[in-house]
Amino acid sequence: MTSRPDWKALVLEQARRTGAAALAQHAVDELAAHLEDIYLDARRAGRSDADARRAAEAALAEAPLAIVPASRSRAPEARPHVSPPGRGWIGLGGDLRFAWRQLRRAPSFAALAIATLGLGAGAATAIFSVVDTVLLKPLPYRQPDRLVAIWETNAGQALPKERLSPVNFMDYRALDRVFADAAAWWRPEASLYRPGSDPVRVSTIETSANLFQVLGVSPQLGPGFPQGGPFYSREQIAVISDRLWRQRFDADASIVGRLLEVNDGKYAIAGVMPPGFHFPDDVDVWLRLQWNLTQHSRGAHFMEAIARLQPGVTPEQGARELSGVSGRLGSQFAATNRGWIARPVPLLDDMLGYYRPALFVLLGAVAVLLVTACLNIASLLLARATVRAREIAVRAALGASRARLLRQMLVESLLLSCAGTAAGAFGALALLKIAIASMPVDVPRLAQTTVDLRLLAVALAIVVGTAVLFGLLPALVLSRTQASEALKDGTRTATGVRGRRWNRALVVTEVALACAVLMASALLVRSVSRMLSASTGVKSAGVVSATMQLASTGYPTWAKVDQSYETLLATLRAQPGVTAAGATSMLPLDPGWRLPFQIEGRVSQPNDYSVAQHICISSGYLETVGAALVAGRTFAQDDRVDTEPVVVVNQSFARRVFPDGDVLNHRIFSSAVNIGPLGRNVVGRGPFRIVGVIADIHQAPIGQTGEPVIYHTTRQFPYRPMTLVARGSDTPALTGAMRTALRQLDPTLPLSNVATLDERFLARTAAPRLLMFVLIAFAALTGALAAIGVYGLLACLVNDRRRELAIRLALGAQPGALARLVTLQGLGLAATGVVAGLLVAQLARGLLRAVLFRTETTDLAAIAVTAAILLSAAALACLAPALRAARVAPVEGLRSE
Amino acid sequence: MGRSIDEAKKGSAEIVILAIVEHESHHGYEIAKLIERRTEGGLRFTLASLYATLYRLEDRGWIKGRWVEKPGLRRRCHYRITEAGRRVLADQRADWARFFAALGQVAGVKPA
Repeated sequence: MTSRPDWKALVLEQARRTGAAALAQHAVDELAAHLEDIYLDARRAGRSDADARRAAEAALAEAPLAIVPASRSRAPEARPHVSPPGRGWIGLGGDLRFAWRQLRRAPSFAALAIATLGLGAGAATAIFSVVDTVLLKPLPYRQPDRLVAIWETNAGQALPKERLSPVNFMDYRALDRVFADAAAWWRPEASLYRPGSDPVRVSTIETSANLFQVLGVSPQLGPGFPQGGPFYSREQIAVISDRLWRQRFDADASIVGRLLEVNDGKYAIAGVMPPGFHFPDDVDVWLRLQWNLTQHSRGAHFMEAIARLQPGVTPEQGARELSGVSGRLGSQFAATNRGWIARPVPLLDDMLGYYRPALFVLLGAVAVLLVTACLNIASLLLARATVRAREIAVRAALGASRARLLRQMLVESLLLSCAGTAAGAFGALALLKIAIASMPVDVPRLAQTTVDLRLLAVALAIVVGTAVLFGLLPALVLSRTQASEALKDGTRTATGVRGRRWNRALVVTEVALACAVLMASALLVRSVSRMLSASTGVKSAGVVSATMQLASTGYPTWAKVDQSYETLLATLRAQPGVTAAGATSMLPLDPGWRLPFQIEGRVSQPNDYSVAQHICISSGYLETVGAALVAGRTFAQDDRVDTEPVVVVNQSFARRVFPDGDVLNHRIFSSAVNIGPLGRNVVGRGPFRIVGVIADIHQAPIGQTGEPVIYHTTRQFPYRPMTLVARGSDTPALTGAMRTALRQLDPTLPLSNVATLDERFLARTAAPRLLMFVLIAFAALTGALAAIGVYGLLACLVNDRRRELAIRLALGAQPGALARLVTLQGLGLAATGVVAGLLVAQLARGLLRAVLFRTETTDLAAIAVTAAILLSAAALACLAPALRAARVAPVEGLRSE
Repeated sequence: MGRSIDEAKKGSAEIVILAIVEHESHHGYEIAKLIERRTEGGLRFTLASLYATLYRLEDRGWIKGRWVEKPGLRRRCHYRITEAGRRVLADQRADWARFFAALGQVAGVKPA
């Protein structure tokens, strides 16, 4: 079946050829009608189609059309088909109506485009609202950008971020051309006692009195710590949080001045902080510092600190000055300070930690997803270009300027992007509330996520940006359509060819972007699996842990504490289902107290690492967690306060301190005996004889290298707060056994943080795992979009080449060869995209490294998996077009169109 | 008679079209067909000259075109004579009558 000739187009062509380019619209219409009448008459007279057509064409060719003037009297009617030429806003309504009709005419295209864009815009809105809340909103303190957290690092010992030594802190604080002021605190274990109710553990810090002044936050009730008062004082005062005030004290307005019983002390309540204030993280009680920070050890790192920079001083300047001080201390007090450098970190960055780079990675991924969605729509629009080329050609011929056509097409794109963004954004924000509520990890400030004007502005920017991104290229390609193309039937128009070329570029870009996101998620998968399989040095399966504390009120003496733990553990071991039980001051992955020590009879050598972690454990603990004994023995029941002080060390200690291998029976002097809050605990005064060496239990965050550790027995170095561990095959039974044993000892004691070791270890990887899952989701979406892009392009190409393929078939080509041809074409595009994408991923190296654990961005397995997944997806996308190519009927080659 | 032959021919084309649309409105193709039929093929317009003439007449206000749309058909412009056109037609007719009378007397030519 042949189509009717397009008479108008014929007229326009003849007009162009005979120098009558300015032929009036009404003249074109009339001439076209005239030709049609000639044709129809001829057909009615029984002449063949071709004959009739020739008759009309002959009539047209008879005389040049240049002699036809425009009828001036009918000028107003000149362009009946096109809305009045719009300038500015005039005619926009018409454009919108036209765009609406265009989309209505292709509902499946519109639906696909809106769905694609909705996905991208939705994800972008959601991530941006999170980033906005978590990263961009300033902290609720006075001039929050002047605040820095201070940490100490030791590259030589592979310690990237450690707490400060209190003595060092005082030296840093004295740097008054850098810091306006600085505050420091440490975290005692604290339980709150109140007559008539159970004691509860509360999150507590003991802080220098200037903390609230440094932050610039005042209590809502009471004076707080005295302004300009002493940095520390023996006088016991406390400030409590709004939450504690409401929950435990029924928001009693006369609370100030009353006594708060924390552990064994009675503190006068000096104030209630405003709602939502829990600095530094989730604190409910702030005790004023009671001891002199300078009367401590430079080797003990347990203080946290913030400082307010002097006006005009940048964190970088602060870092330079601080490292100057650190360097001076390092040479002055080599034994304790060598290699330690103090480092200021902007407070918000510090609070966000891993989440900051993670959110940037997500923001990057979501931007890539959005761009991919736009490219996908652009290639859909280009695929439609062939269909629309003739419409555009006619409109161009009718006098529509290029700018006018561009505007019309951009209005269509805007309409699409509005619909997509609105759908996506509303969907995302609804889902975001649910997602935040069910978040497995505690992301700082995440709960404050709200929808506001900034988000609206971002959504608008997304609408305009995406519309331009996906609309402009097809519009530019289309608007270059020549009037003459309207004459041509079939798909092989210049617009078609130009469109396909651009389409190829778009699809390659899509694959490249998808590849970059996929690569990032593959790296995260590698990283997380490495974290999960990282050695902790213990057999965690079947071990339950829970924390508890023996307060000084009920257990005033160390003998009582020691005896009570012995009784408790004996009861616990006797419970059914418990195969082993013990207690420790620090579980695996938590660092112990880092304190200096000396080996008896050895002069401190310059290369001697004289700081080790100190951890208190009960007898039976090492057996319960399945630590491996390398030499000597572990603690026994006979190691008591009245027997020789003994310690067990780990292999890192043995290797560093005794490279020659002879470890056992050396004696250690520990500074723990003399100092601060810990020193009060130590009963055995030392020196401590090394009786055993165990294989390393990892006592540091995953990823940090192992450190020397000295294990004391609780019998000689008792400690009030301890973590109980019990091994058995039945987790609920173990928990029950712990509660029973504790109840038998003292029914008033609370047991908290009950969890299996595996759960605790898994929780350590929660943030990277969350990032990994979200990235995988983004990668899947982006990959799917790219695959759809490859499919769409190949389908178009096969359609374009049906004739050629048919002729090849007719000339003896095998259908299989044709399918291969198409598949190879698709895979070639995908492979180009993959290579480009891998390079793009390397560009984001700096950002990715911040979220990876022992994984390089050039990880071969990740590259291989990424390439394999994308190429498989591309191969899958090639399947249908390849089959269609193989099934082209040879007769199609003979058809005229 | 100060007019050249060409002008006479042009004038003749104009008078033919005015005469065709004198009693009924017609669109361009009908006009062409009617001229062909009534002159038995003696007078033919090319496409370009037909519409050039129609637009010239319309510009002078002698005929008036009006777009007519009918369902299922391409819209067409139907032309009809105006009052000014009728006066011109009458004048021309008188002119031509005199011309043919003169020719008849001199050369034995009779008007068709």
